[in-house]
Formats: sequence, C-alpha cells, structure tokens
Amino acid sequence: MIIFIALAIASGLLVGLSRQLNGRLALSTNAWESSFWNHIVGLGFVSLIALIGGGLFTGAPLDAPWWAYLGGPIGVLFIAAGSWAINRIGAAQTAMLIIAGQMISGVLIDFAMGIPGAAWARILGVALILAGIWVTRQSKSG
Amino acid sequence: MSSPPAPRFIHYLGAFAAGGLISLMLLTNGTLAQYGTLLFSSWVPHLTGTVLAIAILLALKPARVTPERPPLWAYLGGVSGGLTVIATSAAMNSALALSGTIALGLAGQIVFSLFADARGLFGLPQRMPGWRDFAGLTLISAGALVLIFFGATP
Repeated sequence: MIIFIALAIASGLLVGLSRQLNGRLALSTNAWESSFWNHIVGLGFVSLIALIGGGLFTGAPLDAPWWAYLGGPIGVLFIAAGSWAINRIGAAQTAMLIIAGQMISGVLIDFAMGIPGAAWARILGVALILAGIWVTRQSKSG
Repeated sequence: MSSPPAPRFIHYLGAFAAGGLISLMLLTNGTLAQYGTLLFSSWVPHLTGTVLAIAILLALKPARVTPERPPLWAYLGGVSGGLTVIATSAAMNSALALSGTIALGLAGQIVFSLFADARGLFGLPQRMPGWRDFAGLTLISAGALVLIFFGATP
C-alpha cells in the first residue's frame, strides 16, 4: 500500500516538475514553443514505453466518440497557459489556481451531465475554494 | 535574469481557466481510455497536440524571448508528463481509487510548488511564499478534499 501512496504523491510531484521545466523553457523561448516541446518529447517517451510494453492499440479505440480525440489540442493550450502563468505569479499560486479551476469546473461538468452528488458538499467545497482564491489574491501588493 | 512582470488579474484568470481545461481533458482522455488502453489515451493527445502545436508555431511564428539557448534539461517536461500518466494509473488501480490518487497527487503538487518557489528551482524566479499563500492553499485544499470525497457519487 505504501508503494501506491508514494506513486500517487509522486504523480503530483511530477506534475509540478513538468510545469517548472516547461516554465524554464518558456523563459528562454516562449509559451507556445514550450508547449510544442512538451508534446513532441512526451510523444517520443510514450511511444517508447508502448514499443517496450506493447498493447498500444488493444481494445476498440476507434469506437470512441469523436470528441474524445480532442484532448491533444486542449493540452497544447493548457501547457502554454501553465508555462506563461508560472513565470508571472510563481509555482504555488499557479498550482493553487489551476487546482481551483479544475475543481470548480468539475462541479459544473458533473452538474451539467446530471451526475448525482451531495449538494452540501458541492456548495461547501466551492465556497472554500473561492475563499482560498480571495485570500491569495490580496497578496498581489506583496 | 530579468525580473518577472508584476502579477496582474489576467495571469490569475489564465491559470484558473487552465484548471478548467484539465476537467475537459479528464473527460476526453478518460473516455478514450474506456475504449482503448490507458497508454493509448495518453499517446493520442500527445500526437494530436504535437500536430496542433506545430500549426500554431507556423501560423504565429512567436519570437524567442532571448537569443540564449535554454539548457537541454529544460526540454524534459514531456518526459515528466509521461511518467505522471504511469504513476497515476498504477495508483488509481489500487485501494486508493481515483479519489485517493487525485487527493494525494494534489498534495504532492502543492508541496513541490512551495518548495520550487522558495528555492527558485530550475532557474525560475524565486518567491518566498507568505502567510496568505499558506492560508489560500489550506482553504483550496480543504475545498478540494470535500469535493473529491463527497462531491459526486459514482
């Protein structure tokens, strides 16, 4: 169990590491180029894993709805935005705002798709996050 | 190294909106993983993303900020991203499930970002986190935990 807990924490550390490296690349190039390198290097790496492990095309991926294939273009925008923000508001504020945006949009998507959930938890969760953003935003003069 | 531009509302809004993009990606890539393998659901967006990024670079021709070449290790963000997929999928299939994996992942991300800011890790601007950062992080983490564990019943 310890190993899985470590892996889950490591996944978060790797997200931070990736944003830090892409941010550094954007500092010398620009946010779009940083996003390009992130994707092409990641493509090479995932392809390598697939060559070693095999089974890339197992299943029936062509049966997936067309919009399921749009994750790539969204990712390009996401990496560019992260590389742009981290050099302006820092890693911690970038991370917390991305987490806030992810959580609140997740609630909206769940709501729109009619996924059942506790209303009190959704209201409390969103309220806490909005309060967190408000507290942080006061520090811009610092 | 030149000092970073002063934070503006647009920077905060941009980062917040980027968080919304993650939710959309979870939807697209998660759906893809239901039909194919998890590796496929990471490989496809990397491929289509690369194609779009090339198109954007050709169309906008954005200039490099400095003529200095970036260090070679700065190009490795994509490897770290690929490893994230592997670590996440391994943890997700344990007793942690999706909610536990996301919660621990957020904790890892927050600890890393605070450490990175305090040290100016990898040549990014150094920025000592203040009490407002910790207060904000505590509130956002609490809200995220409530949503992750009680927000939706699968």
